[in-house]
Amino acid sequence: MDTLKIDRVSVRYHQHTAIRDASFSARAGEIIGFIGADGAGKSSLMHAIAGVGAFDGSIRFHNTLYRSPAEAEPIKSMTALMPQGIGLVLYDMLTVQEHLNFFADIRNINKDASFIAYQQRLLQMAGLEKFTDRRAGNLSGGMMQKLSLICTLLHRPKLLILDEPTTGVDPLSRIELWDILDQIRTQEGTIILVSTAYMQEAARMDRLLLFDEGEIIALGSTEELIDSVRPMTYVLSQQTDGITTRDATYSIKPLDFAHTEPTLEALFFVNALKKGRSLPPITLSTHHEDYVRDSVIMEARGLTKRFDGFIANDCVDIRLKRGEILGLLGANGAGKTTFIKMLLGLHPIDGGELELLGRLIQNTSDRQTLKASIGYVSQHFALYNDMTVRENLLYFAAMRSIPFEKAVDKTLLYATELGFDIYLDELPLNLPLGINQRFSLAAALLHDPVVLFLDEPTSGVDAIARAQFWQLLIALKEKWGISILITTHYMSEAEFCDRIVLLRDGKKVADDTLEELYALHPNAVNFEDIFLEYYR
Amino acid sequence: MKIRVIKAYIYKELTELVRSRFIIMVFLLPSMILLLFGNGIRMEVSGARTLIVDHDRSPISYRLISKFEHSKYFNTQILPISEAEALGRIKQARTDVVIIIPESFEKRLLHGQTTQIGVFADAAFPSRGITMETYVKGVILDAASEFGHNQANGSITINQRTLFNQAMRDEDAIVPGLIGLVLLVAPAILAALLIVKEKERGTIFNFYASPLSKSEFLAAKLIPAFLLHSLNIFVVFLWAVYVFDVPFRGSFFLYWAASEIYLMISISIGMLISVITRTQIVAVVFTIIITIIPGFMYSGIIMPISSMSGMSQIEAHIFPVMYYNHIVYDVFLIGEGLESAKTLRYLLILLFYAIVLLSLGRLFLRKELK
Repeated sequence: MDTLKIDRVSVRYHQHTAIRDASFSARAGEIIGFIGADGAGKSSLMHAIAGVGAFDGSIRFHNTLYRSPAEAEPIKSMTALMPQGIGLVLYDMLTVQEHLNFFADIRNINKDASFIAYQQRLLQMAGLEKFTDRRAGNLSGGMMQKLSLICTLLHRPKLLILDEPTTGVDPLSRIELWDILDQIRTQEGTIILVSTAYMQEAARMDRLLLFDEGEIIALGSTEELIDSVRPMTYVLSQQTDGITTRDATYSIKPLDFAHTEPTLEALFFVNALKKGRSLPPITLSTHHEDYVRDSVIMEARGLTKRFDGFIANDCVDIRLKRGEILGLLGANGAGKTTFIKMLLGLHPIDGGELELLGRLIQNTSDRQTLKASIGYVSQHFALYNDMTVRENLLYFAAMRSIPFEKAVDKTLLYATELGFDIYLDELPLNLPLGINQRFSLAAALLHDPVVLFLDEPTSGVDAIARAQFWQLLIALKEKWGISILITTHYMSEAEFCDRIVLLRDGKKVADDTLEELYALHPNAVNFEDIFLEYYR
Repeated sequence: MKIRVIKAYIYKELTELVRSRFIIMVFLLPSMILLLFGNGIRMEVSGARTLIVDHDRSPISYRLISKFEHSKYFNTQILPISEAEALGRIKQARTDVVIIIPESFEKRLLHGQTTQIGVFADAAFPSRGITMETYVKGVILDAASEFGHNQANGSITINQRTLFNQAMRDEDAIVPGLIGLVLLVAPAILAALLIVKEKERGTIFNFYASPLSKSEFLAAKLIPAFLLHSLNIFVVFLWAVYVFDVPFRGSFFLYWAASEIYLMISISIGMLISVITRTQIVAVVFTIIITIIPGFMYSGIIMPISSMSGMSQIEAHIFPVMYYNHIVYDVFLIGEGLESAKTLRYLLILLFYAIVLLSLGRLFLRKELK
């Protein structure tokens, strides 16, 4: 008999339906993965099951049937919820040990010898046993998530609900988190519901639920789901009908090409095709401006940044050439963002030399003259949600003191080439994420920079939007000769970069092209394996 | 109610308050309000710049002028200028009051004829203008009665004595009222923050997703605010008695008990605010608006409730501040205590408020996402 049964659950916020008629069931010890774009209804369903949000329909867990959060009270001693967001349930001011005490107390756990032993084991699994005196606010993102997880595990829940526990967490911490989960479910027979944005993780689940626009559109094991999209997956071709990504073409109409082995990501592309949701194509025209392909755009020599007590960047040497995409990778706290902020002049440089466009940066006036050649897109697109796309772009143009007529022409040109001209008079909030990304990039490109700095632009973005974003970046590089420095924590995105710099604890540990890195690590199947080689 | 759970929360709250140094605010805010307002609000006018134009220059006019010169309320200056020039000085804000003694002032008086004194007061601030006018009148009447006394027997002399605040000190009138304001604002802010902080941060999920009951959560949140501000009851008392020298004539126990009940009311207001707000900044602004305005208006600092009329009279009776302030004024200045039926009734009304507001908070607090 199924331990958990979800029967036609819907969650509504005012007029908007977050999830409609969701039904599924789970057995003890099963891990079920929730995958889907942001806003597809994963979190809402999780909140309903955890009994923290109102819903319609009914849920049964063991022998308790509940239709509202109030009726769910009896199951809360057996369940645990880890909401989305790093360290969301932690108190910055409390230490690791104080968290464990607090959660044990509010769950009224008997602190006997077996609990102490269990707690110690959890600390060891999370690698936190040496940090029991450290305050949560001073932990890295990965450590915070591991602490959150072991705090929710203290009362040995029978139903564990984890909302994107690994998003934004470095690969090593992710692996450790998964090891903890695997142990817990085999030892305790816990049902684990977990949502994730990483498809490699999705493959580890027993079953997957695919969410789209408030509905569960597919349910099954990884193999079953992949089988379902195999007929629509073809080898890479120049077919314009379907969606073409880096390694495959998807089409619901039969094509004359050979099939290829799909990945889980294919589910999203095929679904988008079925719903007729493909975005307008990108048609960049080639800039005929002459440039020396291998000229150096940015050169950092021994760049160092110290914060009180620790060194965020320790003698980092990085060189970015014209028309090159350089990926800056590393775990949380490795110093990626600090480095970008030094390049932009948001942090003063504590040591070393920085040369931008052949000019040594010594003071703010050096920067001021270079601002016109640099574009920057921050982690959260800095768009004004109450202005239309056109107004946003004209505003950014005005900030860069581009003459109004020129700005109008340029906005129209970029909108046409980047395929968002039909959305120019819409508000950003009403647009698909992929379109918002395009026009944020357009805003950063209005003043014709030769180099773009992008700080985790794809964080929290779904597979389709990510794939399209990278297509655009590659087009910018190839057609316009723009150099791009990008940080990301999706290891799979390293495959799109020409050159990769790996940071660890503020130091550069690798700096090579993708091919050279694969040659150095012949056993690596994907870039994540290479990353782990440097981090182990 | 699981005592252990509540203890764990209280320990956590106190740790956070101390480590985030917010604890400083908890104790600084009430004392700051008391010191700033206690020293800053002045109802009486002293040292009003007074310009006297004496056209008479007679013994009687000199006697009248010397009365002004000896009063601490006036800062007198006698100039031989014209009336128009004198009024010009009020306009330039170089003087607050102009008194003009006409020619043959003494002569007319001695002949038993009516005479006039011109008084002009700057009433740009009406209450200040009225006060100055009254003071001037008082001085002149005083001089007139003396003068009349010398002339004939049998006129009325006023033998006046003020009660409860014989020295007519502003501190005595204002500081007890401020206690009512302080103990309304500061605990409400703290209580609101303790809950909204968890909402804003996300840690509220620890409550939503655990078997913790609503009453336990409320107890866990309100007890720290209650305990910390209970200390402030003593702190503000010490300020009032030893810094502002306000007399204390009633029972300390009554003051303490009424204040603790009043604290329950203010933390319940904070809790109700935390139910409807989602971010700390909104909670603070909202708390300040809905506590400071009634706390000030109906504290009796600016105007006694009994002299309010219509709507404001009703509003004053709705806000709990009035009842508490009545008790505070009683224990400080009068000392009737529970012997007065009104004080007892007001104490019971406060208790009723505390119970109702706490229950409302318990009712409206949700253990689920909005």
